[in-house]
Amino acid sequence: MLPHLLILLVLVAGPASGQTLPRTADGKPDLQGIWRPVNRASYDLEDHVARYDMPAGVSVVDGGKIPYQPWASEQQLRNFENRSSEDPLRNCFLPGVPRIMAMESPFHIFQTTNHIAITFEWQQVFRLIYTNGSPPLYAGIESWMGNSRGHWEGDVLVVEVIDQNDKTWLDAAGNFHSEEIFVTERYQLLDTDTIEYEATIDDPKVFTRPWTIKLELQRQTHMDGILEYQCQAEKEEANGDFERDENTWYPASVPVDNEPFDADASEGLPLPTTPAEIPRLSDGTPNISGFFMADAGGANYGLEKHDGDTLLPPSRGQVVDPVDGMLPYQVWARAERVDRELPHRGYDDPTAHCFVAGIPRSHYVPAPFFMIQPPGYILILYERMSWRRIALDDHSRPPDTMRLWQGHSIGRWEEDTLVVESQNFNGKSWLNETGDVVSHMQAVVETFTPVSESQIIYRATVSDPIPYTRPWTIEMPFNRENQELLEVACLEDNGDLQHLKDVRDEYRSRQIDEE
Amino acid sequence: MTHSFKLITAILILAPMSFFNNALAHHAFAAEFDKEKPVRLIGTVTEMKWANPHAWIYVDVENSDGEVVNWAFETRAANSLIRIGWRPADLPAGTVLEIQGWQARNDSPTASLSAATLPGGRKLFSGTPD
Repeated sequence: MLPHLLILLVLVAGPASGQTLPRTADGKPDLQGIWRPVNRASYDLEDHVARYDMPAGVSVVDGGKIPYQPWASEQQLRNFENRSSEDPLRNCFLPGVPRIMAMESPFHIFQTTNHIAITFEWQQVFRLIYTNGSPPLYAGIESWMGNSRGHWEGDVLVVEVIDQNDKTWLDAAGNFHSEEIFVTERYQLLDTDTIEYEATIDDPKVFTRPWTIKLELQRQTHMDGILEYQCQAEKEEANGDFERDENTWYPASVPVDNEPFDADASEGLPLPTTPAEIPRLSDGTPNISGFFMADAGGANYGLEKHDGDTLLPPSRGQVVDPVDGMLPYQVWARAERVDRELPHRGYDDPTAHCFVAGIPRSHYVPAPFFMIQPPGYILILYERMSWRRIALDDHSRPPDTMRLWQGHSIGRWEEDTLVVESQNFNGKSWLNETGDVVSHMQAVVETFTPVSESQIIYRATVSDPIPYTRPWTIEMPFNRENQELLEVACLEDNGDLQHLKDVRDEYRSRQIDEE
Repeated sequence: MTHSFKLITAILILAPMSFFNNALAHHAFAAEFDKEKPVRLIGTVTEMKWANPHAWIYVDVENSDGEVVNWAFETRAANSLIRIGWRPADLPAGTVLEIQGWQARNDSPTASLSAATLPGGRKLFSGTPD
């Protein structure tokens, strides 16, 4: 209820006074919340008349026109003519900055003293903006979303974005830039529910001078959280390249030979002990913020212990319950697991398509992740491009019909262990590339227990009565490293998928020939 | 192109090959590549694509008919190479490599990289570029 109290205080004081903006504990304007631009800038930054798929809008460019060099002005016209095929968003690529800030979907800002994270629905991309004064660890490495560093100038958050590639557009009208683009953003909270957003674009290769866009962002007070838009997954489902799994996808029916599920069979292992002297936040909560990499022991190649083969890395086995280390599969699901390891099924692994990895796989996919602890949340940013919002205060659930790749997570601290309960999964994930099975019935209880300054012991208990006879638990350490996330724009070069499709198609045509 | 290339696949010297340092995979390597099709080639780098989920090394190799075939060798994610200190400038076009791996099941000139050796015997991507 705290946010509502803050709103009330501001209303009483009156926004015109300009003195009573909502502020964080460290005195900065509080930008945390869900925001959305109110304009037509995502279609065209400049004045534009209506066209098919493009409502009319007025320019958000200071001075009205973008100051292109003559050659670039001609390039923009060609881009506009070819926009239905050439716009990078048609291929579900990442939008870059500032385009992502002007898109019509809402986005969620999370704020701490050292970081501001912005999570988006589009491909579940995120921006992690360091505000602690640290220089970029990997300056010079180009990416689609660039590298953002921020600082406060009075009550204005100023963010400098470097190292963007030249592959993104600035809007759907073909306005573009080169790899020399340098963006300076300014976020100024005008009142509780309004941010004035400015972005100055400096790119001497394309423009005659730096120029600025100005947008108004409105707080979406009616929303608890944003959702997912896995553009590429939706595209491939629509065109038939990613096929429905009748056994697992929502709302799959329970297989006929399904045995009764014993939900009480879990061993309930005792949690590890957290030493008192680990780093803590001011309220005593363990500080689990930062960069982590799972010591996953090959979980992405099978959760049961197995030796390696020429092209399959080994797994030490992560299953701690049941004690035999074997997943308690239903008969049909064990058969499915065996089948998924055959070469022609490699194509069916969602991560081979660059889709999001699901839970718990996102932690061991393998790629690092970064956790921050803004008020009311744990936010996990996965380098293999997705985010996960764990609400600590709001324990309401979305309707059963709302199904998500990463599920819906709520969390709580039980002494020094973070306990996270997740449901509302879509059942499209595999637990690893050898195809350990989960369905949309999956419910996950995870524990994050800090055991030292640099290590968290992670457990995930999965209850899923469609593929399993009882719940089971995996365990692995997460190790803190002094690192920064990079970007995985997986779609930019996924030539493997065609090879995997060739293997599958060749298998299918052989099956038809045999019939 | 004055280098002389040799395709050594026919010799099939099955030196122990380590796959696992390439193992930051986003898809099943055993599904895409065939462990029954080891390849060992000498060729000249035409391009290294620093991409995620995997970086690719393109190598011109002359086959036994004198044709030059451009092979694509899949290696680790660009991010994991960046983290151990490698940068795009460290493998310029024109570098001669002895390169080992497993060919794709679809028989295209594509392979998963298991090991690559620079002139002088230094292993590519093991440790830092210096």
